[in-house]
Amino acid sequence: MDFELPGENHPERAAIRSWFEANPRPTGQDLAQAGYVVPHWPKPWGVAAGAELQLIIDEELKRAGVVPPRNPVAINNCAQSLLTHGTQGQSERFLLPALSGEEVWCMLFSEPSGGSDLGALRTTARREGDHYIVKGHKIWTSLAHVAKVGVLVARTQPELPKHQGLSEFLIDMDSPGITVRPIIDMSGHENEYNEVFFDEVRVPADRLLGKEGEGWSLSMTQLQTERVALSKPGAIWGHGPSARDLVEGMAEIGALSDGALREEAAQVYVEGELLRLLAYRALSDRMNARAPGPEAAIHKMLAAPHGQHVVDLAKRVQGPRGMIAGEQPFPSQLGRTGHMDDWDYAYWFSPAVTMGVGTQEILKNVVSERVLGLPRESDPTARLPWSETRQQSASKAS
Amino acid sequence: MDFSLSEDNLTLQESARTFLEKEISLSRVLIPGTTVADANYAGNWEKIAPLGWQGLVVAEEFGGLGLSCIDLVMILGAMGRTLAPSPFLGTLFGTWAIQRAGSDVQKKRLLPAVVEGRAKLALAVAESNGSTEDNGREAVMSRRGTDCRITGVKSFVIDAASADWLVVGAMDEAAGWRRFFLVDAKQDGVQVDLLPWRDVTRQVCDVRLKDAVAEPLEMDSKALWPWLRDRILLAIAAENAEGMRHVLDITVDYAKNRVAFGRPIGTYQAIKHSLADMLGLAECSNAAALYAAWALSEDKSDAGLAAAMAKAYTSDAYVSVTQRSTQIFGAIGFTWEMKNHLYYKRARANAELFGNARAHRSRIMDMVEKKAA
Repeated sequence: MDFELPGENHPERAAIRSWFEANPRPTGQDLAQAGYVVPHWPKPWGVAAGAELQLIIDEELKRAGVVPPRNPVAINNCAQSLLTHGTQGQSERFLLPALSGEEVWCMLFSEPSGGSDLGALRTTARREGDHYIVKGHKIWTSLAHVAKVGVLVARTQPELPKHQGLSEFLIDMDSPGITVRPIIDMSGHENEYNEVFFDEVRVPADRLLGKEGEGWSLSMTQLQTERVALSKPGAIWGHGPSARDLVEGMAEIGALSDGALREEAAQVYVEGELLRLLAYRALSDRMNARAPGPEAAIHKMLAAPHGQHVVDLAKRVQGPRGMIAGEQPFPSQLGRTGHMDDWDYAYWFSPAVTMGVGTQEILKNVVSERVLGLPRESDPTARLPWSETRQQSASKAS
Repeated sequence: MDFSLSEDNLTLQESARTFLEKEISLSRVLIPGTTVADANYAGNWEKIAPLGWQGLVVAEEFGGLGLSCIDLVMILGAMGRTLAPSPFLGTLFGTWAIQRAGSDVQKKRLLPAVVEGRAKLALAVAESNGSTEDNGREAVMSRRGTDCRITGVKSFVIDAASADWLVVGAMDEAAGWRRFFLVDAKQDGVQVDLLPWRDVTRQVCDVRLKDAVAEPLEMDSKALWPWLRDRILLAIAAENAEGMRHVLDITVDYAKNRVAFGRPIGTYQAIKHSLADMLGLAECSNAAALYAAWALSEDKSDAGLAAAMAKAYTSDAYVSVTQRSTQIFGAIGFTWEMKNHLYYKRARANAELFGNARAHRSRIMDMVEKKAA
């Protein structure tokens, strides 16, 4: 057992460092072509990096002060599916602009009918000649207002059970019939999420990813694909302030001299440190090519409420001043970049972290069923033709 | 970089688990009205001692195996799972003290005897309020010529009733600080009283000393105690982490099999979510204990912090897991005949001994602030 991270003298580090020395200000294109945007992918897109090398590349990017292209939906989740399920034409058309960050992607999954129960989605894509006609309504779509490409899951075969009749498409977000509307969430922030409406949108049939009916398995894979990274300890899905920042800030303003606050800060601090260890262990399993242990799922289950606790304690430390919009608790942490580094914003956003990517309740079901082996929650609609379940719920409603 | 256990670690863990699950029975303490006298302390030790686990941390030159804290945690965890009533923990604490602070002569006299199972030890350090700080005055050492004699009381001494030798922390009145001494437990001036301790799987005693002959350990106690304390905290955290994992396992089994309203109670989300929470506590506890073991083995600068975190976190977590387990078992889990209460009581006892979670969190904040400054 060894808790040390890859060291300065790691043999693979030198080559990477010298690339950054030769290319001090690389464009997104440069980075994508060097394979440093998705190093874990096979060549030519990546460098077939194992987990250890991925960490080193991350560190060297940071060291060189290079900000990699930001296109999380493509890079972290969806674009990898093109390697396994895409056509040659799709890879040539989409991958380079995605990895270089020129074309931002968004994920058109959740619907008003249910977020956690993705299989119940209602947006349809019906085949007409060499096009699909998409009709429906997506919601909670990050980046839809800037995206050029949307990864859409829609129902192509309503006569099949709910999980079987879904298909995935790569659509142009500027297609006629698409309307994007921002959702203003309780933080007051615009465009963190959007609604997307599809009114008879024509999608060329060659934009189907994989085969008809593969939408469920593709989307599940994409939701679970995570690039190896030193899991960030921030309160909001890994971003923003951490428990260490909290304790540092509280020390700075003298809040730790209050015994009750000190005790609570200590609890949050310990929890934060242990979550770091769980994340490291999940990472180390992957680095050593072992089947991942239960840490990843458990980490998600614990990290979300932990993050809420972090920002909540910071807010309480502020007293009534914490209700002033934009007010920050810790002077030395002003001016950090990234909007999640804003403690006030992170606090008002934090209720979302136990909802997004599956609610906390669903996550606990998943952990108890997949890790502890408890009986599966049964879904009475899972085996029935989807069209039939829709008729049933419609008649119940009336 | 590999945060996982090595093949050797896993083999040791597996063999310890298999052995203890086969050999240690708690059935005698599951008869209502039993005390620690029924826990088969001596009988269990007769089985465990030949395996030589008590020599795991003893240096090879004294006949031990000279293994690391990580190896030790494999054994302690297996003992935590089965509760394993035996004088292992007391002997371990005493062994650590002698190995770290004893003179060569003292080590040669006692450590091989420990390894061979001929000597059992206990560490008497706590005051009657549970404090293990170095300002306690309830036991005092005074000199008679070159002889050291201790008079007073030490409290909550684990395994003292089994011990042949005690390592006693006593105030050196002349010097004005605490020192640690070797004390023959069988001499007239030493009286060991078993406490009616709620955790009936462990001997916890008061030790009364009256002019007891004592021999100082060589090393300055100020250097010994932080080193020893961090290892004690790790040992308890390791017991806690695996004890709660075992409680989780038996509770999951129960939830899969117990039927109410026509289905296993494990299908109800109230039960599932509680078990998922317990798993979270158990996984974090496991990580905390293993990290502390690694940090202590490697003498890392944050080892003391890691040990305090492990003790603080696992103490609360073990209490919470055993409490929830009892609730999930329902009324049957409230009876003496079920094992639930044994773990519930072990958890509570471990939470209170050697500083509770709150006390260690206070230390943690001191260390964090110091590091930041």
